[in-house]
Amino acid sequence: MKRFIALLIAFVLLVPSCITAFAADGKVSYSGNAGSFVFEPGTEHSLTDLFPDFKGVMPGDSLTQKITVNNYADNKVKVKIFIRSLGAHEESVDFLSQLRLRVQKSDDNDMAYMFDASANETAQLTDWVCLGTLYSGGKVNLDVTLDVPVELDNEYQNKIGYLDWEFMIEEYPVEPSDPKPPQTGDSSHIETWFVIMICSLSMIILLLWRKKDKENKNNAEKH
Amino acid sequence: MLGKVKIKIAVVAIISALVTLMGQATLAYYSTVGKATNVVTSGSIQFIIHEMTDQGTEFPEEGVYIVPGDVVSKKVSIENICEHPFYLRVKMVYGIESTELSSDECFKLNINEQDWVLHDGWYYYNGIVEPGITTPDVFSHVEIVGSKVDNSYLGKTLTLTVKAQAVQSENNPISDGNTYTASGWPAE
Repeated sequence: MKRFIALLIAFVLLVPSCITAFAADGKVSYSGNAGSFVFEPGTEHSLTDLFPDFKGVMPGDSLTQKITVNNYADNKVKVKIFIRSLGAHEESVDFLSQLRLRVQKSDDNDMAYMFDASANETAQLTDWVCLGTLYSGGKVNLDVTLDVPVELDNEYQNKIGYLDWEFMIEEYPVEPSDPKPPQTGDSSHIETWFVIMICSLSMIILLLWRKKDKENKNNAEKH
Repeated sequence: MLGKVKIKIAVVAIISALVTLMGQATLAYYSTVGKATNVVTSGSIQFIIHEMTDQGTEFPEEGVYIVPGDVVSKKVSIENICEHPFYLRVKMVYGIESTELSSDECFKLNINEQDWVLHDGWYYYNGIVEPGITTPDVFSHVEIVGSKVDNSYLGKTLTLTVKAQAVQSENNPISDGNTYTASGWPAE
């Protein structure tokens, strides 16, 4: 019985780690102040690879890769996030042209794909497409589906295909009419305190100057 | 007089500093672009044919000397060395001095018919070969048929070649458990 319980515990502990290992999501993070994007998880083929689940694909596969786009900028700004495709690298066109790629926002259930074409093409993502306006802590989830035709020929075994995506953000000030962003824990208003400090220092300097000026005048009158 | 000028300069400097700070607070909004290079890779099917003897050693590449009636130990199995499961079939090709022979002419094999099913000249493994797994032996002994190998074979080289083909089992349904019904078997 003890052995059974031990096995059960081991199984329960192992299962989540296995799930994590086999279902890595892509992640795009923006940290604000024109800092660069961070792309995860990356793979041995590319440090900015968002497709960890599209490895070793086989004819007939239909795989979905989840990608989360996060805004980690502070709560004074809101960001508009855009995406576009630059298409396949030249040496990858032949292989990727055999595959079909679809992209949609996870929350949209109307099957309106923002991209639905051969994986080598730029198609509907040739120009910038807005993914939405995100406040601090906000995110957009994308589902990227790759369909591999069952007729894919033996000549496409062990192929590697590279395709580039670009993400762009535009920061805007949060307006009073905007929804209140979530608290991030930093509510110290450091700029306000800095302005007060400058004003105080200025007043002190002015007072000192006036005092010194007055003393000089008094000394001049005595002499 | 000099003191008043200093005060005016100081006031102007303070106002300028405040305007600059407020300007930064309202105008410094940014845009930036980042590029992700995404990668798709395709898989493959790979296997190794193992030819062993009863002693657990590899069957010699240069072959063995035989006389009519000999029973040679030769255990043939196939190992899946890729990351994908597959269906498998093998075929034995017999020859003498680069001339193909029919199977019953010189050799008699003890085929493992429990795991391998004959269909159209190929022996199909009746299951899926999972990654890292080695199949049961296709056969383990080869008998040199004494009644067929006469003096005309003296000094000749007889060959027994094992051909194997595999096709992915993922996304590839079969009928009634018969692996020969899978799609994608290569042309012979």
